[in-house]
Amino acid sequence: MHLCRAMWLTVAVLLAFAATVPLAAAAEAPGKLIRLTFYYPVGVAGPLAKVIGEMTDRFNKENPGIEVVPVYSGDYDPTLQKVQTAVMAGNPPDVFIVEISELPTLLAMNAVIPLDDYVRKAEGGKYWEDFFPAFRENSTLRGKIWWIPFQRSTPVLYWNKDLFKKAGLDPEKPPQSWAELKDMAKKLTVREGGDTKQWGVTISGGWNDWLFEAFVRQNGSWLISPDGTRVNFASKEAVEALDFWVDLMHRDKVGPPHSTWGSTPPDFVAQQTAMLYHSTGILTFLRNSAKFDFGVAFMPKSKSFGAEVGGGNLAIARKIPKERQDAAWKFIEWMTSGENAAHWSVASGYVATRQSSYNVPAMKEFLAKDARYLVARDQLKYASGKMMAPNFQKIREILKKQLDDAVDGKVPPQEALATVQTQVETVIKR
Amino acid sequence: MRLGERARSWYRRGRLHLLATHLIVGLFALVTLTPYLWLLATSLKFRTEVFTPTPQWIPWPINFGNYREVFEQAPFGLFLANTLLVVSGILAVQLVTVTLAAYVFARRRFRGSNLLFMLFLVQMMVPIHATFLPNFLTLQSLDLLNTRTAMMLPFFASGYGTFLLRQAFKQVPRELEDAAVIDGCGGARFLWHVLIPLARPTLVAFALISLVSHWNDYLWPLIVTDTPNVRTLTIGLGMFVQQESGADWTLLMAATAFVTAPLLLIFLIFQRKFVESFMFSGLKG
Amino acid sequence: MSNSTAVVNLEGVASRAGPGAATWGSRCRGGTYLYLAPALVFLVVFTYYPMGFSAYLSLFRWNVLTPEKVFVGLENYLTLWRQPLFWLVLRNNLFYALGAIPATMVLGLFLAILVNQKLGAARGIYRAALFYPTMIPMVAAAMLWVWIFNPGIGLFNYYTGFLGLPRLDWLYDRHWALPAIIIMSIWKNFGYYMLIYLAALQGIPGELYEAAGLEGAGAWARFWSITFPLLGPTSLFVFVVAIISSFQVFDQVFVMTQGGPADQTNVLIFYIYQNAFRFWDLGMGAALTTVFICLLLVLIALVFRAVGRWVYYEGE
Repeated sequence: MHLCRAMWLTVAVLLAFAATVPLAAAAEAPGKLIRLTFYYPVGVAGPLAKVIGEMTDRFNKENPGIEVVPVYSGDYDPTLQKVQTAVMAGNPPDVFIVEISELPTLLAMNAVIPLDDYVRKAEGGKYWEDFFPAFRENSTLRGKIWWIPFQRSTPVLYWNKDLFKKAGLDPEKPPQSWAELKDMAKKLTVREGGDTKQWGVTISGGWNDWLFEAFVRQNGSWLISPDGTRVNFASKEAVEALDFWVDLMHRDKVGPPHSTWGSTPPDFVAQQTAMLYHSTGILTFLRNSAKFDFGVAFMPKSKSFGAEVGGGNLAIARKIPKERQDAAWKFIEWMTSGENAAHWSVASGYVATRQSSYNVPAMKEFLAKDARYLVARDQLKYASGKMMAPNFQKIREILKKQLDDAVDGKVPPQEALATVQTQVETVIKR
Repeated sequence: MRLGERARSWYRRGRLHLLATHLIVGLFALVTLTPYLWLLATSLKFRTEVFTPTPQWIPWPINFGNYREVFEQAPFGLFLANTLLVVSGILAVQLVTVTLAAYVFARRRFRGSNLLFMLFLVQMMVPIHATFLPNFLTLQSLDLLNTRTAMMLPFFASGYGTFLLRQAFKQVPRELEDAAVIDGCGGARFLWHVLIPLARPTLVAFALISLVSHWNDYLWPLIVTDTPNVRTLTIGLGMFVQQESGADWTLLMAATAFVTAPLLLIFLIFQRKFVESFMFSGLKG
Repeated sequence: MSNSTAVVNLEGVASRAGPGAATWGSRCRGGTYLYLAPALVFLVVFTYYPMGFSAYLSLFRWNVLTPEKVFVGLENYLTLWRQPLFWLVLRNNLFYALGAIPATMVLGLFLAILVNQKLGAARGIYRAALFYPTMIPMVAAAMLWVWIFNPGIGLFNYYTGFLGLPRLDWLYDRHWALPAIIIMSIWKNFGYYMLIYLAALQGIPGELYEAAGLEGAGAWARFWSITFPLLGPTSLFVFVVAIISSFQVFDQVFVMTQGGPADQTNVLIFYIYQNAFRFWDLGMGAALTTVFICLLLVLIALVFRAVGRWVYYEGE
């Protein structure tokens, strides 16, 4: 009896609620306001969603005819999925950020417009040149500019100075080369019985395909051509790089063979690993969580220092009316101004995409307090674009599977990469 | 004398057995509870306190701030509202379709009833996981993606509910129906005034099972919703978890605690009803 | 309340109609099919049409690079047949079923028997403590267990350490990731099966046990000759539910491992999701969906064969 009445009451209340909620959502501002939906994938940890909110609020105030509505859509993968779904449904978000390797896929779906005209007119023609060259690489294809760098990063090496001291290593000298890395990792690995209590170096899983590309670059080679048509996974240099990984994670066991992108930063904070390969984007999280002193360094070199870039770019959807595209450009131009790029970088820990950002006072102040944020920027001179090709999601999975199998010792590096080569060639043709 | 001795030894053995049973069951209960207690403990810690090598069960100093931060980072209140709307919407329509269908299957003879009932039975064993892709495409062509309705539609017909309710309706004696028929057209009024009230326990059981299982839906809402305004608790939690910048365990546990709290609280209060419902969700002994 | 093993045939139902049977259904037939219509519409649109639609779609190549569908017949199936990953995925499903189902059923039965004893007021508490995981969304449980399975500072390794067990990397070890997911699923599901068994146990007349006790039968003998056989139908029900659930594993994999490491936890539903919503290979997604549906249909046919008319006429 009691339960029944309670249930009916609840249902009645809920129906009343249901009646109001859609109304609330539908209450839009009248007039010639252009509302733009903006899908973005910034991680929710930390105040980054708030920063995006604050920045769009400021933009909206300064531009009364436009209202940008930011929609947090998860990490890179879910955001891509949502954007693709929306595009396929003919109802794309007006502005969105997607991981940079997806450009060929976006083009295959006819999802974005070229931005050359806008870019040429921006900031009296000086706009494009101000972006770091490495960031510009993933923004162009077939001679056109398709999207603008926004939240960008490179992988870096984090090292735990306390643990270095404990192991008898100089806490101010991170490894400079692969050989040094292996040496130091051996000294930093602590085993008790059969258990590894502390790893020497963790090469984070999850985006280990991204990190692998960095190692290949350090060894002097490339994986996919910048135009996304040729693949080179089985080169001698790539095999050597993978073999080095197998050394670390299987033969010498100084690093865990598997992990996820989100599990390794806490591992570093918990001092389960003395060194960590990860994005510069986690620096703020580490600063706020770690109770020990740590440093940030270039990734150790093989033939040279090498890195590739990562992150997401801002794009404008194709199938929306011209006036919305113009409004979207206004937003993008605003978000990527020298000042705002600096503001975003300071708040998020991502590398500021424009060179002039580093002259902005707020940025200078910030860097004066913590120079570690400069490492990724400085590494840019050794960095090139990230590999991209159509159907990149599938290529990633193929590569990651073989990397995982190789570091478990299940398949020799040469064979693993040969498999990747043949499978990816098929995918690109399909 | 022998009988008395034997009786006493039986008694003692019985007591021993009971004690052993309590211990074993108690142990399992404790082990089952432990993860959730750990969740609560973690949610009340400060971020830097989480990385200790030995587990600290009592969070000290206590940090309620994690819960506040969870709400600041994502609109979990909105997610809760959406979940409530979706599960009650599903249940409301299910009750209608299920009652009507169960009625004719239970009380009427008609052409093709066997085959049609078979369709319902088979549906019981075809979960959304088997049909999510084509259903997604259907909804896309109907332009219904990213709506609360989309999250509800595939569940409006329930073979399981129809099966359960048909069983319950069948229990009602023929005489009652004959009496109603004599009083005028039995059909709908018989259904409304007699069958449904008599089948109330089954309806309640079905309602609880439906509410719980759809509260916990994940795959289907994941693929049909994009934006926070229609997002449900489970999806919100899932997104909270996927971050590029590293898992913040105290926040994650706080968010998880919040997402699990409503059902658990209701469960604790209406425990008997829940247990009964799920117990008899299988067969009637 | 008839015992669940009674089987009634169709003729019996008709002849049991009794007086007034002549009027049954004839005067108030009004809109029988109309009553069925709402449910049928949703059933057809969202269960049966999709089954056919996915079979149809699976005959096309339809992906990111081929935005207009191209008919290719059974090409997708051929590709799957030749693809090691497909077989790995099916193997993972099989291993999961073998690992999770017997353990969950046995645990459920074992605890049901124990909880069925005269435990007084504590019984309600025990029952709640054992059953509450069913009330939690799988996603939430998965999140919690990622934390618990953390190799370095997780609860699981800490306590199993006391038992002398080796410290495993669980979700980050290609051999132990699937077992970790299985353990977590057992924890989540056994309470529900326990309840089903509890209900069935309470339906077994106490006299049977008393009689056996008087004959001198020990607890073990009582279990094998009375409890186990009489729980047959219940066990079958639980088993079928468990198998269908084992195919539906998705949330845990999505949250805990994303199919890794090295696809060792990639299961069918996750694989379908990957193909459809990551690779946007809709033709392949449809083919995989059709494979899954066929497996289900085979299972359903088997179940109906074994149980068939008994299920249909249950409750007479």
